[in-house]
Amino acid sequence: MSPERPVLRARGLAKQVGSGRARQQILAGVDLDVAAGEMVAVLGRSGSGKSTLLNLLGGLDRPDGGRVGVAGEEITGASEKTLDRIRLRRIGFIFQSFQLIEELTGEENVLLAARLPGAPRGGRRRAQALLARLGVSAVASHRPHELSGGEQQRFAIARALVNDPVLILADEATGNLDEGSAAAVIETLGELAAEGRAVVLVTHEAQSAAAADRVLHLVEGRLRAGREAAGPGP
Amino acid sequence: MSGLGILLVATMLAVAATVSYGLETGFDRSAAEADLPDVLVSFDSQSASSVRERIAALPDLEAFSLREQLTSVPFRAGRESADNGVVEVVGPGRRGYAIVAGHDVSRRGGVVIEEGLATDWGLGVGDRIRVYDSPPLPIVGLARAPSNVAYPLAAPHIYVSLAAYRAATRQHSARQVNIAQIWLKDPSQLDAVLVQARMSSYGLSGLSLITRSGVRVVVDQAAGIVIALLAALSLIALLTAATMLTAAARAEIQRRLHAIGIWRAIGASRGHVARVAAFEALLVAVPAAAFGVGAGALLATGPSDRLLGLLNQDGPGSALLAPLLGCFALTVAIPALAAAWPAWRAAGGPPLALLRGAEIGGGRARWGTAGGGGLLRLGARLATTRRVRLVATLASLAICTSFVLLMLALASELNTLANDPTALGRRYQLSASLPASAAPRVRALPGVSAVGPRWEVSAVDAYSLGEITYVIGFRGDHTQFEDPPLVEGSRLGGARQAEVGRGLAQILGLRVGSTLALATASGRELRLRVSGIVSALEHDGRVAYVSERALLGAEPDAPEKLAVILKPGADTKTVTAELQRLGADVTASTGVAGGGKTLVDALRGLLLTIAAVDGLVCLYMLTQALALTAAERRSAIAVLRACGAGAGSIRVLLAGAALAVLVPAAVVAVVLERLVLGPAVSRLAQGYATLALGADAAEIAVLLLGLALIGTVAVWWVVRRLTSRPIAGGLG
Repeated sequence: MSPERPVLRARGLAKQVGSGRARQQILAGVDLDVAAGEMVAVLGRSGSGKSTLLNLLGGLDRPDGGRVGVAGEEITGASEKTLDRIRLRRIGFIFQSFQLIEELTGEENVLLAARLPGAPRGGRRRAQALLARLGVSAVASHRPHELSGGEQQRFAIARALVNDPVLILADEATGNLDEGSAAAVIETLGELAAEGRAVVLVTHEAQSAAAADRVLHLVEGRLRAGREAAGPGP
Repeated sequence: MSGLGILLVATMLAVAATVSYGLETGFDRSAAEADLPDVLVSFDSQSASSVRERIAALPDLEAFSLREQLTSVPFRAGRESADNGVVEVVGPGRRGYAIVAGHDVSRRGGVVIEEGLATDWGLGVGDRIRVYDSPPLPIVGLARAPSNVAYPLAAPHIYVSLAAYRAATRQHSARQVNIAQIWLKDPSQLDAVLVQARMSSYGLSGLSLITRSGVRVVVDQAAGIVIALLAALSLIALLTAATMLTAAARAEIQRRLHAIGIWRAIGASRGHVARVAAFEALLVAVPAAAFGVGAGALLATGPSDRLLGLLNQDGPGSALLAPLLGCFALTVAIPALAAAWPAWRAAGGPPLALLRGAEIGGGRARWGTAGGGGLLRLGARLATTRRVRLVATLASLAICTSFVLLMLALASELNTLANDPTALGRRYQLSASLPASAAPRVRALPGVSAVGPRWEVSAVDAYSLGEITYVIGFRGDHTQFEDPPLVEGSRLGGARQAEVGRGLAQILGLRVGSTLALATASGRELRLRVSGIVSALEHDGRVAYVSERALLGAEPDAPEKLAVILKPGADTKTVTAELQRLGADVTASTGVAGGGKTLVDALRGLLLTIAAVDGLVCLYMLTQALALTAAERRSAIAVLRACGAGAGSIRVLLAGAALAVLVPAAVVAVVLERLVLGPAVSRLAQGYATLALGADAAEIAVLLLGLALIGTVAVWWVVRRLTSRPIAGGLG
């Protein structure tokens, strides 16, 4: 796909970590465009900077250099309020360790994001639809420790989607799952892209990356093209 | 954060130590400095030679000195004046007072005045004071005598040498004395000496023997209330420090389990891990504690010295260093132990488990399974996750808060006593210097509800140290005009009875049925049966209500005044103007006046200082609790922020956490104050006044507002710190 009007656009992203002699240039000028309906996988070995890249793309951290735009809005240098609004309405995050809040049921975890000030209306309806779609309605009232890893990740996906974002950022979303659950999550991500969302999946598992439209390798702080699919997934 | 907590606790401890140590040791220190005699004997004036003979015959005598004490002497200096002055004519021998500035009296003339008078009137060595209508006398020194409280709590004292007094008064008759000071070789033989003194006192009227320890008991009773309060507050501060610092240290160790696992894996012992944790805690604790102790001592020294000054006692000076060092040691020991203990426990686990980041121990105790959402509710759930800490935080905050409420109730009560005449049982608003015969004319004035003649004379009680007793009489039932609460016995029932104030009852050891013997200025004696004891703060409770007949019988020329009760809504200024038109000097009734007001102000200042530090401890406690919750649940908060929750939403979340602690703490605090602390302190103070210390609605409202403010500040500060860090850091 040719990203003429990309949902996500990053240019020259740079980030250093550590200090003194341990200081390390973990990202050294990353350029990335992801279009609506495209699923891009970023592959890299452990410590290569994949999660750092995702944090910068989602406005969870500030880059040392470069720029990031989401859905036409510049997030580099934006105020915290602007960043909050963009994260609330434009971006959905999926984490490797699910990051569900232990005190809340699966459904409450999903609704939490929908009830934040500024969230679009109809959150409850969307949450219930998502739970049904992801097949976890029956365990909606269960708390995280009562759920399997796959179920927890599906609740995490529902939480990421409840405010209908245009960009999904998934950080090792299959890292803590068995093979079957991992495959189901990848399939779901593919469906989300097919619905017109831009999806960025960072992973170190080539098998998970295989379902993406494009696979990029993060090596020495730069993205290098890998396999490129013909078009958005089905 | 830990440093701030240590600083506050150190401040609290230092305030408590400064005030408590000063009060606890003040009397002994000042008594030693002043060379206070072992026995003070007062009696009606006798020739010095006869008294000297009797005293010289006492066993175990080391030394004695005689003096004449003249009471109700008018003093004047500049714009200040007092008509109840006491002149002590001192002869040769030991003094029983300390010279704190200038030099002692001598035959060359000049007077020594008590330090309290000098402070209150702004006098110093070299200034001059008039006694009676004398020419101004030079002040050659300032004295402090811990046998009595200072002016303005008591009558002002000045000292003059016998030679100078005789020269000034041209008196050459045999010397008269009414006070003897006795020093014993062996104070443990005091009882035997007192028995002998009573036996040899035949013929001495108005005899009163007061021992050094007796003076101390009276002073210590007052100090005991303050010390008890401070001791309780110090315990709270320590409990708070231990709870919060242990929790903070535990959270820190939990965060560093991986590092501890590596240490253990490479061979570091548990002791080494614990020592390193303690050393790191000391790096923060030592400067914070030093600063806190210094600040606390500075903060408390002013009010404490003022209170000690009123008690005629000296500040502890460099002797305070030891207790302050103790505070410092305690304040640095707590964080060191609080850090070492969880480190020791953590290091006890298998290195592999530590490397995986296992919990320190005790597992995860989670509360709150009920459904429902909302950030406020979620915040409350996050705060109630750890049961033991929640209970400890709640208990500490509740106790701390209940003390703040107690301070508010005390301050309010003191304010009422100082400003509201009715709090003292005084029901009239104006006092007019008019004779009783003018009562019908005054009663006819618009706005006047009732008028009654009132007489007040001072008399010397026969048993104390020349202390003045104020004898008050009304025509008819005095309770219509002055109705101090009756705490024992019954109201005045005839011309041979008296209601006495608690202060007087305590000084003279009076009970219902005892005989009150007073000598008035005209030399007549008044002997009355005590019908009841009232809680009167006026003149420190050294008052006696007697019938008009008894008072005028003893002092026919007693000055008359009219007590004027106004109609509800009447304008005080208008009635005052009308009374002035009748030729009266008019004074408005106030609450505690004169010396009592000074003491009330001093106590209020002290209470406010303590309450302010206590409030800061509450703020620290809540902030620390919220910061710990935020640190422990940083991933949950980071997820929320990643989902788009802004600073406002995180504030709501932490407000829920704050409310989960503050609401129950406030409820417990109110119950605790009303049912335990208020009544307990009222009992402690019952020797002085009947204080209603159960917090009322207004005080509770002030407390709730204060807690809301504290909660707001704590939430704002913690969220500010949280949101200043990248979200990504919380997700790791």
